[in-house]
Amino acid sequence: MAATVRPVQRKEFKFRESSYLPEVLRGLAITTRQFWRNLVGQRDIVTLQYPEVKKRYPNRFRGRHRLMLRDDGQVRCVACMLCSTACPANCIHIVAAEHTNTSIEKFPQKFEIDLLVCIYCGFCEEACPCDAIRMDSGRHSLPTFSRSPQNIGKIDLMEIGSLSIAKQGGKNA
Amino acid sequence: MPTLKIDGQEIQVEKGTTILQAAQRLGIRIPTFCYHPGLSIAANCRMCLVEVAKSPKPMPACHAQCADGMEVFTNTQKVQETQKAILEFILLNHPVDCPICDQAGECVLQDNYADYSLSPSRLFTKKVHKAKAKPLGPKIILDAERCILCTRCVRFGDEITKTGELRVMSRGEHSEITTFPGKTLDNPYSLNVVDICPVGALTSIDFRFKRRVWFMSATRSVCTECARGCNIRIDSFQNKIERYVPNYNPKVNQWWICDSGRMSHTRWTANRVTEPRNTRTESSKTAISTRDVADEMAKALVTSGKASAFVLDASMPNEDAFVALRLARAVGSRLYLGGRAQNGPQDELLRLADRNANRTGISAIAGPSPLPGLAEFQKDVASGAFKTVLFIGGEHEGPDKWAKLLEKVSVIGVLADIRSDLVDIAHIVIPAAVPQMREGTVVNSHGRVQRIRQAIRLEPAGVVFPYWRILKRIATTAGLEATWNSERAIFGEIVASMPQFAEMTYDKLGDLGLPLGSNGLSDVDVDAATRNIDPSAPQYRKTNINSRMPWQH
Repeated sequence: MAATVRPVQRKEFKFRESSYLPEVLRGLAITTRQFWRNLVGQRDIVTLQYPEVKKRYPNRFRGRHRLMLRDDGQVRCVACMLCSTACPANCIHIVAAEHTNTSIEKFPQKFEIDLLVCIYCGFCEEACPCDAIRMDSGRHSLPTFSRSPQNIGKIDLMEIGSLSIAKQGGKNA
Repeated sequence: MPTLKIDGQEIQVEKGTTILQAAQRLGIRIPTFCYHPGLSIAANCRMCLVEVAKSPKPMPACHAQCADGMEVFTNTQKVQETQKAILEFILLNHPVDCPICDQAGECVLQDNYADYSLSPSRLFTKKVHKAKAKPLGPKIILDAERCILCTRCVRFGDEITKTGELRVMSRGEHSEITTFPGKTLDNPYSLNVVDICPVGALTSIDFRFKRRVWFMSATRSVCTECARGCNIRIDSFQNKIERYVPNYNPKVNQWWICDSGRMSHTRWTANRVTEPRNTRTESSKTAISTRDVADEMAKALVTSGKASAFVLDASMPNEDAFVALRLARAVGSRLYLGGRAQNGPQDELLRLADRNANRTGISAIAGPSPLPGLAEFQKDVASGAFKTVLFIGGEHEGPDKWAKLLEKVSVIGVLADIRSDLVDIAHIVIPAAVPQMREGTVVNSHGRVQRIRQAIRLEPAGVVFPYWRILKRIATTAGLEATWNSERAIFGEIVASMPQFAEMTYDKLGDLGLPLGSNGLSDVDVDAATRNIDPSAPQYRKTNINSRMPWQH
């Protein structure tokens, strides 16, 4: 496709702008006005006093993933890998294994999400057929000094997990 | 020759052709479950029902033979309703546990449901439950709930292996596949039932839960486990081979493969030689490269001259054998043809006693006088005739103690892909690529030239190389001229110098191969062969591994 070129006319600086001094004074005036307003009025301040005051996130903020639990506290996930299939960032790594309980059969021996690679799109949650992975914790991934703690495993993901109201195995199981 | 019309298209077929085969010829798809071109026709799944003019009821296309003036409709409202009803019936007690089913992604039931039904279940009572994860033998697990009772596995046991271990037990919704009491499903071809099972009822214990099928890349190649040269599909993921699956070739293995061939990929991954070794000289260098040891080998060969021997591996591809023969003759070495045992298990179906993939090819390239074997080599080496011996390939059938036999030889070199006793005692070990990491051609015992293809990248990169590359390095260091740059180029030279390979190219060999002395003319009707592929087998994307980026699989 050929690029279309559109010439942009720049506004020429007049003497007032090109001499700078009046503009600098104008800027100082704005700063000074805001300084007095904040000191006396304290009404429309944008800055929050973190960590005493925290900003409320929008309702649709997802946050970190969590793995839901079965009634007996085991992981709900059956290692079907649909989340890692749907994942556009390739950040979910699952190793499936045979469960000793034949009614469960397959479970994730390893379930790792690399939070540094994750783009928090929520596709994994949508792809999951068992309500096993959710992105509704509303929590950040916390900053760390190295990369490896950001590759969180099954234990960390299950720690903030909870029970689901969906019946495992479907309606007629 | 009956002439009939299918969906308005006229076609003339031989007597005895079924409607399904005629439709395949016209490119019309009729869904099936129980039909398999290699087995007898059972017509029990009813998925292929089609409407025939003047017939009161729909007819099974896999079973009904074409008659003159017949008019068949495969897509009328009646047929569509029938297909939906059949799928609802099959799915009635199906557990729909696709998330934990290994077949998901290559499941005929999934495909047919998506293409012909998509209706939700209307069942409001509990489903009938049957045995789950029940081992039928040491290699196969049965999930009776998922079974749709197509009896493909039963017919395979009855007709192909003639062992007949499996039967359908009980009636109605309680029917399930089972072995006879006290018997297990354990024959040398048993894993084929896993391939032909259209659903996830029969799964292989080896592949169970290992990898979702849609993640894997497929490469068409040839099994190197015996002299039969069965066509296989290598499924790999992230440069690791996950499984072998048979590919249809009417002139070699039909639809089948033996279990030892199928499982042979584990042999190639578990015992690889991945680092060069030189125990002769105490090197001040901490790390030696493959090139260093190849140069060392070249020096030893040149010094020994006529007192050196090459032992070829009867499994090595033609290209390597060609380069090895040129090199050995230029140096003046004696040549022997070694390799694995020639007394392996043999039967009428596929397996051959010769456990080497390319004995015929190497003999064809070596010329009119046959190469002496390992027995002669043992005799000659015991007489102290050789100062330097270069083994190509890690696995050679030999005496119990190679060390004792080779004690008089001052330089033992091995170009090794697989670890063995021989590799352990060798002075110079040069790591080589396994067959799945390279291109090449092998000739099976019936003289069929077939291509092996690269399924995974050379790993560790820069350390392992195909045999011919290492041999080329040895030849260059020895002061000989070696200009080959690819397997294709070497094959071109083989074709130019050997009349048996005349007119062949990699492209002409294609997927099904060519017989020796065929002058590049195929002996297979490719259209007929394509129609004979199991119509319910999933079609995989072919991958060119060299175009893949490191982070892709």
